[in-house]
Order: sequence, then C-alpha cells, then structure tokens
Amino acid sequence: MKQENFFKSLVGPLLIFLLAVYFYLLAGQIDAPPGPEQLGAAFWPKMMLIFLMVGCGIKAGEILIARRKAGAEAAPAGPLPEVNTPKLAAMIVMVIAGVFFMDIIGFPLSNFIFLLLFMRIAGLRKKLPLLLISVLGTVFLLYLFVKIVYLPLPKGQWFFDDMTIFLYRILHII
Amino acid sequence: MFDQVALLGTGLINTFDPLNFSMILVGLVIGVLAGALPGITMLNAIVLVLPFTYLMGIVPSLLLMTSVYCGGVFGGSITGILFNIPGDPMNVPTTWEGYQLNKKGFVSKALGMAIMCSAIGGFLSALIMTFVSPPFAKVALSFSSCEYFSVVFLGLVSVVVIGTRSIGSALISLFIGMFLATVGMDEIYGAVRFTFGSRIMETGINFTTVLIGLFAIGEVLDQLSQKNKGEGEIIRTRPKTTLPTFGEIWALRNTILRGLGIGTVIGAIPGTGATVSSFVSYGVEKQVSKTPEKFGTGVWEGLAASETSINASTGGAMIPLLTLGIPGSGATAVMMGAFLLHGIQPGPLLFNKSPEAVYTIFVGMLVCNLIMILAGLITAKFFSELMRVPENILCAFIITFCFLGAFALRNDMADVWFMAIFGITGYFMRRYDLPIPPMILGIILGPLSERYFLTTMIGAANDFTIFFTRPVSACLIVISIGLLLMPFLRGLGKKGKKAQA
Repeated sequence: MKQENFFKSLVGPLLIFLLAVYFYLLAGQIDAPPGPEQLGAAFWPKMMLIFLMVGCGIKAGEILIARRKAGAEAAPAGPLPEVNTPKLAAMIVMVIAGVFFMDIIGFPLSNFIFLLLFMRIAGLRKKLPLLLISVLGTVFLLYLFVKIVYLPLPKGQWFFDDMTIFLYRILHII
Repeated sequence: MFDQVALLGTGLINTFDPLNFSMILVGLVIGVLAGALPGITMLNAIVLVLPFTYLMGIVPSLLLMTSVYCGGVFGGSITGILFNIPGDPMNVPTTWEGYQLNKKGFVSKALGMAIMCSAIGGFLSALIMTFVSPPFAKVALSFSSCEYFSVVFLGLVSVVVIGTRSIGSALISLFIGMFLATVGMDEIYGAVRFTFGSRIMETGINFTTVLIGLFAIGEVLDQLSQKNKGEGEIIRTRPKTTLPTFGEIWALRNTILRGLGIGTVIGAIPGTGATVSSFVSYGVEKQVSKTPEKFGTGVWEGLAASETSINASTGGAMIPLLTLGIPGSGATAVMMGAFLLHGIQPGPLLFNKSPEAVYTIFVGMLVCNLIMILAGLITAKFFSELMRVPENILCAFIITFCFLGAFALRNDMADVWFMAIFGITGYFMRRYDLPIPPMILGIILGPLSERYFLTTMIGAANDFTIFFTRPVSACLIVISIGLLLMPFLRGLGKKGKKAQA
C-alpha cells in the first residue's frame, strides 16, 4: 500500500472515531440522571459509542496489517466503475428538491415535475413519452395512494392547497 | 388423538367452504401485493381488511387475516430480489442474496426458490403449530427479557457473517446503526437523546426510512451515475418465475430444516418475530456453511434459510396467540382484536369453547401456504413485467415509491427527509466500501436489544451474570459466542493444514 493511500484510508476511521468521542461527551449531558441502582438513559448510547470507537481501532489495525502485507490477500476489491459526477450531483439535487417541494407545492405537482426532470436527467430524451409518463404516473399514484389506501398525501401550502383539492375533484378522488 | 383428527377433518371441510376459501385467495393476493409494495406493510394490510371482517363470521374473518399475514411476510421478497428494495425489514437477508442472484442471471430461479421455501416453511410450521401448540406455548411463556436479549444478541452476532471482507468496517457500520437507533425518546427512562432540540427528532429515526433510503435510493444513484452504462439503457429481459425441482429443494433440505426450526421457535417467542428469525437463520446458515465467504454474493443457502424462517415464524407466532391469548407481534395483535370483536377470547379455553374454529384456522394456514405458491407466481409475474420498463423510467418511479413509502409510515414529512438523507448516505457508503447491511441490522435490532438489556438489568439489580445463570439464556449466549469464534477457529484450522502440508 502506497504511503498516500495509507493515510487516506485512515482518514475515515479517524473521523468516525472523533465523532464518536464528541457524541460520547454529548451523552454525558442527557437530562435524566440515573436513579439508585439504575444504569440510566445515557448508558446504552455510551456503550454503543465505546464499541464504535473499538470498531474504528480494529479498522485502523486492519489497514496497518494490510500495509505490512501489501500482498494479494490484503488488496481491496476491484476498481469501482467510473462516475458521471454532474449527473450524480443533478440526481442528488433532484432527490432533495423533490422532498423539499412536496410539502410546499403538494404531492401531485411536485411529483409530476420530479418525474419529468429526473427521467430527463437519467437519459430519457423524447418529449412526448416524458410528459405522458409523468402525467399518467402521477394520476395512477394519486388513485392508488389517496383513493384506495386513503393516504393523506401533502396538498401543499397557500394556493397550492386549493389547487390540489381542485385536482382531486376533477379526478373524482374526493 | 382421534378427536384431533376428527377436528382436523371438520376444519378441512370448513376451509373449502366457498366463502372461506375465497377469503384465503383474496387475503393472499392482498398480502403478497402489500408486502411487495414498499411503504405498505403486511401490518397495514391486516389493519385495512379488519373493517371488512365486521360483517363476516369469525372463521372467514380469521382466514382472511391469516392469509394476508402469510402472503404479506413473503411479498417483500419479490421486490427485494427484483429491485433490491426489501418490502419489509424481515426481507433484508433475502434481498442480500436474491438481488445478487438476479445480477448473476438467476432471477427466475431465485423468485421460484423464494416462493417454494416460503411455502415449505409456512406449511411445516403450521403443521407443527397444529400438533404441538400447548407445550410449545408453555416454554415460550417461561422466557423473560433476559432470554429475549440473548435471542437478539444471537441475531446481532450475524454481523460477523455480514462483514466478510473487513470485520472493522462491519463493526463500524453496525455500531453507527445501533447508535442512530438511540436517537429520540428513550423507552425505559423517558429521556430525550441526541435530538438537538428538534421535536421531529424526538420520535426517533424509523428503521424503515433508513432501510428504504440506504437500499433503494443508494442503488438508483449508483446504477444511473455509472459512466460506462448506456444512457436510457433498456432492460429487455422479462424473467419468468421457475419453480425449483425436487432435487434442488432436496439439496437444500438441511438449510430448510434449520430455517424451519429457527423460524418456528423465534416466531413463538412474543416480541421477536419474523425479522429477528430471518437474521438469525441467515447468520446461522453462514456459520455452518463450508463456503461462508461466498455469502452476500448470491448463495442459494442464504436465500432459502431466510425465506423458510420468515414464513415459519407465522405458524410460530400463532401459537402464543391461540393457546395463551398473547399476541407476539403487531399482526397477531390485530388478529386478537378480530377475535375479541366477535366475542371470542383467545387462550386455553378457546380449544374447549370453539375447537372447530381453531382447527379451521390450523387447516386454513396449511392450505393458505400451499396456495401461496400460486399467489406468489402471479404476483412475481406482475412485478417481473416491470423489469421490461426502461431503467431511467423505472428508477424515477422507484424514488417516487420511496417518497410515498417513507411518508406512509407516519404521515410525516420528517420521515421522507430522513429517507432522502440516508439514501444519499447509502450511495457514499457503497462508494467508500462501508457495508450497508450491518447498519440496517443495528437500527432494527438496536432498540430491541436496548429494551431487553435494560429491563433485565433493572430486574437483576445490574447483575450482568444473570445472562449466564439462566439456562436458556446461557445456552443462547454460548451458541452466539461459538458462532462468533467459528471463523477464527476455521482460520486456525486452515493454517494448521497448510503447516502440515
């Protein structure tokens, strides 16, 4: 294992170890002091954090052993496939935006826009299928989850709330 | 014995009554579909059919609910094998092996094997339930939180199984999961932990949101972001479900028997159920395997062990309900509600007061598990059709289903946020080689282990030796330690052989 790779691979366990120490200190501030002969609410998370620190130690040990051996046995698995970073970033943004706007503009509209944009990012180019799948898919999901399963999906805020109800009425969902 | 056979005969006639039989069919289809759709759990489905039972008699009501239960515990395996999305936490071990088998091109056989193993597990456990219910229930009732902790500990030991390449990474992932499970209101002392003042965090992180996010969203991001994949690539294959031959089932007979035993026993212990049994069964199977390093890469034994134990736990879970009137899980609690709605109190007297109803349920479960092969084939065919959908469309809908699945848990957007965050985390865990299954195991079994451990400590005045002084608990702990040491002992054995050579 090269010197640079060795230090790089130690960063992860070290970071997790430091986070575990931080949360361990935080666990000491849990506002429920244990009564007589009680372990208290902080006992279990503290124990898990100690085990997590031990896990980090074991991982660091494994990395050290791998460095010493530097043979086939310790070699990591085959290289991971190359990543299309802009596409990945766009998909992550879409997932976050999908959740964010679901509460604000309501599920029907947010889901339609999400499907449209996500499929476009994922590589579907033809406009008509994009539009049809987004519209029909949203209507199908509304029927399945609102009409059949009675799931109160987010209707949105301000006038989006009225718009969603209007849409439900048109579709005979309510 | 004669009485029992006569009652079974009456049960058989009752089961094939047109109304009762149609309830089994309807229940199975609803159960398998609900189990397969992420976010709609088997428990949701049982609750949804409960109002329909008001108008029915006790026998069709219970047959409907029982078949939803049996179908529901199996359904989640279909989407697990096809899309790497387990319908329920109990289907996670099936997903580990089933999805890898799918990637290897064995999707048809994997679906068929899952259906057959589920049916065999469910059928045999129903048979066991029929004959050994009362003595079994007495043993299960003698369990205290100490034994429960030991059972959960046995489940956690399977982390050694999962951490094939690096024990360190597996332990880090497991304890992160167990730590995350402590966020929110503590069950024993009522204290608020690691919420940073947020009310949303007080309810804790629901393990299903983590499960959906880590598996489904992580997988979608991983699949679509790969550079060498053609954009808009269409998956043309439509897998048919191929049932395994008798020879293939016979080759897995020991695995199936172990899964059956573990599923029935753990299912009969109130409060544990199918999730714990599937993890334990998978873990035990890997430890007894001659090629444990292959687990997680698509191994038939892993799939069979998990599937058999999941459905075997259904028969087990009915034992304390029928014989003692103690519901051991959410599903059996709703069933108990149905009993009470019809003015029947489950328990020892049930066998004297309504023996025909009880034996109709027994026979109904046997028949239900046989018909499940058909229901499984139909549902698997329906979901297999989705494999023909272009990947970019399928992935967009998978994410939408994840949003809906997370929201449906508590009708709370916080769960959708957690799911999205864990989804993105899941992608980076894949990239940086941090195994996901141990974290899932930690989040699912963490709260159970904490509850049972602290309850035991309160009862035993913090005396840790109680786990070794109670015989059942001691046995389970010794088995767990044995399983933990097995890989090291195996390694030593190999070294010894090499040295001799």
